[in-house]
Amino acid sequence: MNKGVLAVGLAVTLPLLGLLLLNLGRNPSAIASPLIKKPAPDVRMKNLSGGGSLQLSSLRGQPVVVNFWATWCIPCIQEHAALTAAARTNPDVTFLGVVYEDTTENALSFLAQRGSAYNSYADDDGKAAIAFGVYGVPETFFIDAAGTIVDKYVGPLDDDTLFAKLSAARK
Amino acid sequence: MTASIGRGLVLLSLLFASAGTVAAFAAFLKKRADLTRAAVWSAYGFATTMTLANVWMVIGLLRNDFSISYVAQVGSIDLPTWVKVVSLWSSLEGSILFWGGVLAIFIAIGTLSLNDAHGPARPAAIGVWLATATFFCFLIAGPAQPFGAVANVPLDGPGPNPLLQNHVLMAIHPPFLYGGYVGMTIPFGLALAALMTGRLSPTVLGTIRTALLAPWTFLTVAVVLGGWWAYEVLGWGGYWAWDPVENASLLPWLTATAALHSAILTERRGVLKGWTMSLVIASFLLTILGTFMTRSGIFNSVHSFTQSAIGPTILVFLGATTLASVLLLGFRVDLLRPDGELDRGASRDTAFLAQNMLFVLFTFTVLIGTVFPLIVEAVRNVQMSVGRPYFDRMTVPIGALLLFVMGVGPALPWGASSRDEIKRRLLPPLGMGFVALSIALVFGIRTPWTLITLFFAGYAAHVTLFEALRPARTRMKFRTDGFLKALSQDIFGPGLRRFAAYVAHAGAVTAFIAIAVSSTSGRSVERSLKQGESTTLGAYTLTFEGIEREEEAHRTSLIARIGVKKGETTLEPLRPMMNQYRSQRESIGTPAVRTGLIEDLYLSAMNIDEDNQTVGLLVMINPLVSWLWIATVIMAIGGVMALSSSLRVGRTVEARELQAEVVG
Repeated sequence: MNKGVLAVGLAVTLPLLGLLLLNLGRNPSAIASPLIKKPAPDVRMKNLSGGGSLQLSSLRGQPVVVNFWATWCIPCIQEHAALTAAARTNPDVTFLGVVYEDTTENALSFLAQRGSAYNSYADDDGKAAIAFGVYGVPETFFIDAAGTIVDKYVGPLDDDTLFAKLSAARK
Repeated sequence: MTASIGRGLVLLSLLFASAGTVAAFAAFLKKRADLTRAAVWSAYGFATTMTLANVWMVIGLLRNDFSISYVAQVGSIDLPTWVKVVSLWSSLEGSILFWGGVLAIFIAIGTLSLNDAHGPARPAAIGVWLATATFFCFLIAGPAQPFGAVANVPLDGPGPNPLLQNHVLMAIHPPFLYGGYVGMTIPFGLALAALMTGRLSPTVLGTIRTALLAPWTFLTVAVVLGGWWAYEVLGWGGYWAWDPVENASLLPWLTATAALHSAILTERRGVLKGWTMSLVIASFLLTILGTFMTRSGIFNSVHSFTQSAIGPTILVFLGATTLASVLLLGFRVDLLRPDGELDRGASRDTAFLAQNMLFVLFTFTVLIGTVFPLIVEAVRNVQMSVGRPYFDRMTVPIGALLLFVMGVGPALPWGASSRDEIKRRLLPPLGMGFVALSIALVFGIRTPWTLITLFFAGYAAHVTLFEALRPARTRMKFRTDGFLKALSQDIFGPGLRRFAAYVAHAGAVTAFIAIAVSSTSGRSVERSLKQGESTTLGAYTLTFEGIEREEEAHRTSLIARIGVKKGETTLEPLRPMMNQYRSQRESIGTPAVRTGLIEDLYLSAMNIDEDNQTVGLLVMINPLVSWLWIATVIMAIGGVMALSSSLRVGRTVEARELQAEVVG
């Protein structure tokens, strides 16, 4: 018996197997957040194109969708069309994007290239991402008219999911 | 009725596989030839029934037999014939059935290639193969049953996922991927057999090498075909996104490549037997991990199957095979004693070791990046994604070092040599390195890692070419043969295996250059164009000439006709399109690519508006991308050449060993 080989083998494989076991049944696109049913953090974010900023609480009175994204994130590219379309067809809901760990320059050229139907904001020091507890992109928060986070979605959104979540935010 | 015939075939193959497993292990433990024969015939029985089950499903798909649950799920009357056939692997249940079919072919060939020269490793290996087959038969017969009965037979089905209907590559990529994934079962069984018997004979090692080369070649092609598919279909202009499923296909390729190299040391020096076996075993386990990743639904991916109930079953199998392998390694590896010693110092031995370490490091880097979101979620119950920045930052230096070793390693002599000899071998290739560097600088490349990669690539290209032709040149010198004669005598003679390795290296160097340049030197622009409007990028002028509409039975396509001019020359117009599939709501784009040896012109329509006659167009110039495809063909040719040399050598080794046994 070679104890060293056995120890290294088990040390490499057991944690990995345990990890996979722990994650069984995980749906990568749906996860609870401690923020749900809590008031949305009142963050202040700068306009991407410079000039002016937005206080999130100023949007009270209407449902708000906050989408954290980055240009290096492939799922964000996937969901971009669905979000843009939803923003156009749901004028009663305010959509806003928050650029996550990316440069303003990249974000602006991304939007210029792919089109946009709502404003995106810079989150240079990551304050908004921290306040919302964002760990990766894309992450999207659905806030009702009273300013309460009603739902959160991780991963690329499609039309159907967006529709369902928007209905929840409208209630 | 037709569904129950399919179920019957699957149950029969389950019976053959499980009975054969018992017979094989009993034959190994009791050293009984009659049980070995029973195991061999069970293996053929499994192979036959499982192949028939696959054929039966394809017939069902072609005949639109919606009384079979899988056909009802993915079939459709209006589909072109090729789509019907490839529907076999387009969805979860069918893909597992297809896995079984590929496994059947590999096990049949594997069983056929084993003989008495393999000794007790023969029943042991067949036992491992059939145990694996038993698991997949169980999966097909139970949780992933494709031959379910349909209560109310529908008149028509929805057809497979439109992304998969969108390109003919979908017909080619999965068979190669499965050839790579499933084929790893064969060397895995032989490696476990070596551990069980406590001996790694030259015959078994030779068979492992051959058995590894086949899936390696398939996997090499498959990994790149996956990238090509992404490039030609997904429309974002790149071929690799470090997506979990892409990583899943890369991981076993990395360990298998390492294993192919360490097997050379094992063969030449009689060392690192346990290490080589570990790499072979890891390659197989990583294919199962990859299968789990694509089918458990716990990873987000564009390539993934939807969430399914077979995740836990695959995890149980992965856990069981992993633990069995680790225990077997731990308890038996010391029996595989080294027959020689590694040479330390600046020799080719050391280069091989460095190469192995780098490949393992690469594997762990990709593995950790892929599962890191799971770790974070398990520890902190939050989700995250590991993006491109991590992978690029970590893998680019490792890749560059690998390229460096690929240049220096083959230039170094085997065993110890004088300092002057080493200098004489290592210095001249620097010239090509500087030539490559200068060319890059002239073309305006300034990214440091790209320049470093190109320098190493020039160096490695020189060494590869020089070493590949060295035996032929020696022949020319001593026999005054012409170059072609000398080369063909070498390649069709004993030098094929060596030459094959350098062909694979030449492919790898080409791939490094293509990846380094295409990923850092592309240009792109995105414009919304009205009819008649133009945009330019580089030397290209692109004019939106109008929208065409194409109706097919299974889809409607809107095509943006884009006139292309390069400088003053008018080229063929390009036609990026948006496809609307029947019974699918969202439309899917197909980019149009003008492939060239220097650069690709890549057009992707983001939207096509028929009412306003506008198109949202993504225009990209991607340099040297086609060289990645060419590189893959070169690597695959190297793999096939090595395979044929290995088959030839395998026969002589076996004959020698049989003779030794007879004499001894």
